[in-house]
Amino acid sequence: MKHLTKTVVLVLAIAVVLTGCKQPTQLINDVKAAIETVTTAGADKYAAEELKAINDDLTKALDEVAAQDKKFFKKFGPAKEMLAAVQTKVTELTAALPAKIEAAKNAAIQLQGEAQTALTETAELLKKAPKGKGTAKDLEALQADLTGAEALFTEIQTALDAKDYIGAADKAKTVKDRVAAIAEQVNAAIAKVKK
Amino acid sequence: MKLSKISGVCLLGLLFGNACNTPPVPPEAARAQTLEQDLWRTGGSLFAPGEYEGFKSGLKAADERIRAEEAKFGWFRDYEAVRAELTRLVAQGEDLLRRIKDEKASRERTFSVSADSLAARIDSLIQITQYFNENEDIRKNVSQAQIKLAEARMLVAKENYDLAARIAGEGGVFLDRAEAASVKILDRYLDQGQLQKWRRWATEAVEESRQKSSVVFLVNKVERKLVVYKNGEIKARFDIGLGKYGLSDKLYSGDEATPEGRYKIVSKIPASKFYKALLIDYPNESDRQAFAEARKKGLVPARAGVGGDIEIHGGGKDSLTRGCVGLDNKNMDDVYEWARVGTTVTIVGAIAVENTILAEIRKFKDNA
Repeated sequence: MKHLTKTVVLVLAIAVVLTGCKQPTQLINDVKAAIETVTTAGADKYAAEELKAINDDLTKALDEVAAQDKKFFKKFGPAKEMLAAVQTKVTELTAALPAKIEAAKNAAIQLQGEAQTALTETAELLKKAPKGKGTAKDLEALQADLTGAEALFTEIQTALDAKDYIGAADKAKTVKDRVAAIAEQVNAAIAKVKK
Repeated sequence: MKLSKISGVCLLGLLFGNACNTPPVPPEAARAQTLEQDLWRTGGSLFAPGEYEGFKSGLKAADERIRAEEAKFGWFRDYEAVRAELTRLVAQGEDLLRRIKDEKASRERTFSVSADSLAARIDSLIQITQYFNENEDIRKNVSQAQIKLAEARMLVAKENYDLAARIAGEGGVFLDRAEAASVKILDRYLDQGQLQKWRRWATEAVEESRQKSSVVFLVNKVERKLVVYKNGEIKARFDIGLGKYGLSDKLYSGDEATPEGRYKIVSKIPASKFYKALLIDYPNESDRQAFAEARKKGLVPARAGVGGDIEIHGGGKDSLTRGCVGLDNKNMDDVYEWARVGTTVTIVGAIAVENTILAEIRKFKDNA
């Protein structure tokens, strides 16, 4: 009986030691897959700094795994803790990413709206502008300028549809700025008549 | 016994003393880590992916060696080799960082040259559109090019050079279209046969003024000038405005083009809708003939006639006429004074081959 107890304890001890010596392969794979998922979801665009930190932490954790793997008495505990910390960060980023993307989307939509408003207001301004002698030529040219800006307005929606919110925001801003410059010239033409 | 105690204390002292003297991790390690961050932020993975990865591998290897040293008992730690490796790595990283910055500066300069070229083309086209009114296509395309250029500049500020170059390229396409539209409108102004005909008309008008000691008006459409000749000499020059399609030769009613040819003033109107006006005898025989030929060729809308009521009038040179020649009222007063019923009015497209607009158009044509 005493002999059997000793054998069981020994087997258990070996099992514990062997389990402790195993690389945390599953955990590594899970963390890598989670990083891949969050990257594909847009973290590389909308949370580049956070993603970089996570990748750096993963590298450190993998280095620790590799270092322990070379040792006779392997101790993967700290590496597992590091991987778990990375996993937590990925989970946090995964949770935060939709809000970041949504914020970028909203910012782009807001700018698109502002560009649309500017286009509508400037078109109205052009309609109402006195096309008398002295301004008709300028106003015709400005109308053509506005038509050009309007033609590029569709590119904003194309970028939004492609979920390129940063690109959409850039496009919306440039259209809005261009229309603002045209409106300024329309006002100058109107002021010329009023003089 | 006492001796063994003393030995023990000495041994402990030695042990702790040595522990305190354990060599520290070389400061280059922290510098290399910072460099890695800097390289990433500067775009190492984009601008020098191979070298950046090489740096990272070197850093990883150095890190492993540091940890290997740290795993040793204090007495046995020796960071000299890894320190040398880190020093080399830091130098390599700093060099890479400098080269990436140089590369970015170079790409910014390249973009800047291309952006300046686009901006110059935009300015040139806008300047041209000040001279004539058939500019809907030109301005529309130029406006789009301006937006593309602004977007490209924004991307360069974000160091996205490849996309910036692509967007600037799209801007260039719009400018190509605008230049092609300009060439289309003004191509006949570069035609030597056409220019010779206009020059002959102008010469004959001046000659008539000299021979008959009379007043002659010479209207140059591309230069936007009305020149008053008397006794063959220039007496006055006035800026003029034309219609929306003023640079085209009038063919039919409603085309908003200004006719080219040799005309006479048939009526002086002291109180016109546009201040004062001088009615010319458009259409003359030559115009009627051109209209009939165009109609045969199907170039004239079914209900359109040859048109008429072409005047030199006031109301402002910046106005858009429907084919007439417009002047500022102050200048119209002078022109009205020079004019008599029967005064010759010769309207030409251009006389000089080398003028600003035509030089630009020739450039566009050469670029195409």
